[in-house]
Amino acid sequence: MRKTILLLLVLVSGFIVKGQYAGYTAVADLPKFKASFAAAAQKTNSIKADFIQDKNLSMLSEKITSKGNFWFKKDSRVRMEYNQPFKYLMILNKDKAYVKDGAKESKVSTKSNKMFQQINKIMIDCMQGTTLDNTDFKTRVFENKTNALVELTPVAKGMKEMFKSINVIVDKKDFSVVSIQMQELSGDNTIMRFTNKEINAAIPDTLFDIK
Amino acid sequence: MRPFRTPYLILSSCLPIAIGILLSCSPSYKQMQSAAADADVLQKFKPNFTVALYNTTVDVMGNHLSGLLLIKKMPDSSTRMVFSNEMGFGFFDFEFKPDGEFKVYSIMKKLNKKSVIKTLQHDFELILMNNLDNSKAVVKTNEGLTYFIFPQTKGYNYYITNQSGDELVRMERASNKKIIVESVMKKYQNGVPDSIGISHKTFEFNIGLKRIEK
Repeated sequence: MRKTILLLLVLVSGFIVKGQYAGYTAVADLPKFKASFAAAAQKTNSIKADFIQDKNLSMLSEKITSKGNFWFKKDSRVRMEYNQPFKYLMILNKDKAYVKDGAKESKVSTKSNKMFQQINKIMIDCMQGTTLDNTDFKTRVFENKTNALVELTPVAKGMKEMFKSINVIVDKKDFSVVSIQMQELSGDNTIMRFTNKEINAAIPDTLFDIK
Repeated sequence: MRPFRTPYLILSSCLPIAIGILLSCSPSYKQMQSAAADADVLQKFKPNFTVALYNTTVDVMGNHLSGLLLIKKMPDSSTRMVFSNEMGFGFFDFEFKPDGEFKVYSIMKKLNKKSVIKTLQHDFELILMNNLDNSKAVVKTNEGLTYFIFPQTKGYNYYITNQSGDELVRMERASNKKIIVESVMKKYQNGVPDSIGISHKTFEFNIGLKRIEK
């Protein structure tokens, strides 16, 4: 009996952590949070940051860490440059994408490439504060003292096949993105952490040029 | 128009086949001489993947794909291969057991086709060199190269060394008549190749791996 109760407690506590995230509680006033998020995003015209990305392979007990630089500029322009341990450049400019891996360059229309379309949408939504309006996801918002956690659960078919959930952690101070956690169906996840953020830094338009 | 059409159709349908047969019968296969050599010599080329990360490019029928391939030897001696794009999204996760058993842990929907999985499985089995049964090996030579031939369920795996057996020149997967895949493993460091190339000969499908530090 004692064992059964213990097992039940473990199971229940597991559900609580899964449902609410350790250290976080559900945001009580969601409309207010949304309004603050949108207002802060309105004031954000550009973001310059460094990033560290960890791909965690759960069953292999392995982690692949990569580092790079990130730029965002309104409207809908993102440049991501991976420098370590490989070179990879991705530019998203409205509905166009440019990728350079090694010496190979490719241009893609995000309209015709579903994967780029989805990456584009997630990135731009995160930066422009429109994450909560993305109808491809069911959203829940949690908070602790310093951060808010926006949990995105895919409802759209394409997204459902790629991700179990995407959690976006934002800093409550300026609503800038602290990290993006992508949980795959396989149990593996990728966490992208942004550091040395400069909000509204002067970023030349040429950084997003797709020739 | 009509008198020209039939011969043209016959020609246009038969000529590529005839050329294909002529080109695909590797002359080196025909001219090979039987030889005596120990297939154990290949063991030193068997990659010793403890954990290795490769920058990976895949070119298939005009499409280009890139990402990272992590290869890890697991405690149960199986080898796991996990391929994901640079942003971390997983393409596939395969397991190769030493006894030849193969398992797909995950694969993205677009790649989840029997023919794609089989092709990738056979390509990677060729480079893993798990099933080199000496008792079944046939050894031949031609033009200064030694061919170690291992019959598979379908076709053959060829491991081709120089005469002294200290260099793995290339590997091939072949049917009775033609080469299907050619592969190379170069610049071994502590038993792990720095570069791996897999090139299909019957359609455009090339995989390039360049080792990077984790």
